[in-house]
Amino acid sequence: MSTYLYDGTFPNLLNLITKLINHNIKPMDIKPKDNFEPTLLDEGITLELDDAFRVKDLKIPNPVIKTCYYVFLSSDKNKELIIYYFLLNEKKYQNKIFYMRNLKCVNSALKLAKQVSNETHKLKGFVRFKEINNHILYSTINPTSDCLHLLSIHFAKRLKQEYWIIKDERRNKYSIYDKKRYYIVSGENLSLKEMIDTKEESKIENLWLTFFKTIGIKERENKRCQMNFMPKKYWHNMLEMREEYEKSNNRRKII
Amino acid sequence: MTLEEKLKILADSAKYDASCSSSGSNRKNTGGIGNTAYSGICHSFASDGRCISLLKILMTNCCIFDCKYCINRKSNNVTRAIFTPEEICLITMNFYRRNYIEGLFLSSGIIKNPDYTMELLIKTIKMLRSKYHFHGYIHCKAIPGASTKLLKELGSLADRLSANIELPTEAGLKLLAPNKSSNKATEIMSYVKENRKRDFVPAGQSTQMIIGATKETDLDILSKSSSLYESYGLKRVFYSAYIPINKDKLLPSIITPPLVRENRLYQADWLLRFYGFKVPDLLDEEHPNFNILMDPKANWALRHLNEFPKEINKASYYDLLKVPGIGIKSAQRIIACRTNFKITFEDLKKLGVVLKRAKYFITCNGRYFINSEYFKKSFIEANLILEDHAKEETRKEQLSLFS
Ligand code: SF4
Repeated sequence: MSTYLYDGTFPNLLNLITKLINHNIKPMDIKPKDNFEPTLLDEGITLELDDAFRVKDLKIPNPVIKTCYYVFLSSDKNKELIIYYFLLNEKKYQNKIFYMRNLKCVNSALKLAKQVSNETHKLKGFVRFKEINNHILYSTINPTSDCLHLLSIHFAKRLKQEYWIIKDERRNKYSIYDKKRYYIVSGENLSLKEMIDTKEESKIENLWLTFFKTIGIKERENKRCQMNFMPKKYWHNMLEMREEYEKSNNRRKII
Repeated sequence: MTLEEKLKILADSAKYDASCSSSGSNRKNTGGIGNTAYSGICHSFASDGRCISLLKILMTNCCIFDCKYCINRKSNNVTRAIFTPEEICLITMNFYRRNYIEGLFLSSGIIKNPDYTMELLIKTIKMLRSKYHFHGYIHCKAIPGASTKLLKELGSLADRLSANIELPTEAGLKLLAPNKSSNKATEIMSYVKENRKRDFVPAGQSTQMIIGATKETDLDILSKSSSLYESYGLKRVFYSAYIPINKDKLLPSIITPPLVRENRLYQADWLLRFYGFKVPDLLDEEHPNFNILMDPKANWALRHLNEFPKEINKASYYDLLKVPGIGIKSAQRIIACRTNFKITFEDLKKLGVVLKRAKYFITCNGRYFINSEYFKKSFIEANLILEDHAKEETRKEQLSLFS
């Protein structure tokens, strides 16, 4: 038993898993080759895969593929193996797979997929753009799951006639939208010009901060509830929470 | 007055409205900016834990009326401001582009007369839709007493309309809001209900009641909600715990808003809309108010313990819904899953059941979670209350770590 390697993309992963299932191979693990460290016992195996493979040719229902894709975007260490077992069981249970929650792989897959879709939904609201240079909207995120692509679909519809850039700082990649389509590019292949806020920017930001402070009712103050809905890990990138974020960071330093 | 000062005044006087929901509409971006998400999106959370989805402001806090509970009433000596339509568009567009908000919730005090006020609201929203090509969410307050023609026009521009009932009974209104009558609000509601379609108030209508400003019981309030849901197909009734802002001998002298009571009403409202409960199941003349210590569903279950325990692998959908700790999603999952395998206590957690509450009221394959001798009201009640109490305690501990 060994670790099987793929190129880190979703289609390639499904290509590999299809082959493993068709040939009845039980992998010990599946990992992207870039962050796999070979050992004496496990050198890692790269299989010859079908070049013509396309995800949409698979005879697997859409909701199943979608679940796999969402699991793939999660940050779980075992996500590849979970997808493998999920698809293996799909062969057996077909459309009943979603109701086999007593199987560990099904339960984990559905849970992870849910986490990714929840985080994406949250970020659809929490993304904060600022206007830079030539009216380009610019935003930075640090999401736990790799939801840049899903967010881009959303903003390409909503901000159709704007130029925008979203930077996933954690993964060092950017989504760049040019009013027609968006491109996801790694930060290594990108050199951005210096970014300067447009002159309106601080005025609008102050209006937002004023609104944000005013709209809370002091007789009902409930910071715990605020934090439950808007976890601290997002504060850093949210204009209205930055002050609070820095305060709580300083407090931690003192302790 | 600067724009920022105006915004401060007009957001401050709008903040008491409980609604900030941006759901129910499927508006597309047809060349311009914005669309709506059917499930709604929260963009931030205020220091009181409430969702911020819409730019919630008044057009003006000037008002010819003198509702006793309202900060904007005529007799209050507060700074007054008025936004021009251009200013509202400017803030909305700039906030929306930066993804601060999902849209606009525009309300207003009444200046001159209802028609005049409504005309200004329409002018603003029309400008936003046609001059700025804004396709994001708009929730607008309909002004009671304005003409039907104006209501029609407003409804064709907004996603959601609301007219506030304010108080659950006519007597309450007479006492605290003598210029208002519930008829005027319900006239709006029935017009909206009859004319609602894709391009007229697509996200439906909602309303709000103030809780604890008058003597009405929970039974009065919930009966009112229930009849509003039935008669006008409202999407939501919001409950807003009375916050003592004004001094008036007609107002109750409380210091803190009745938040737990408000929460109980929301829980009960949920039970009415999605769980198949009716008002008389929950409250009656003998028990006209909710138990502050326990949520309405657990309270109901304890009073009807003879209907329990429910067998997870057999009970009907609506019977499952009656179990504290089982919600819509988990009940649906149980039904879908149990045809494939026999559900055990262990599986229930994976299905999203809150086992800490549910376990007292169910059996799995004929087994109770402990010796069935314990299936007694006194035992269950004590445990549920202790459970909630423990939760409160850890909450407080966590809080003190942060403050
Ligand atoms: S009509 Fe509205 S704004 Fe005017 S006093 Fe009454 S509640 Fe306040």
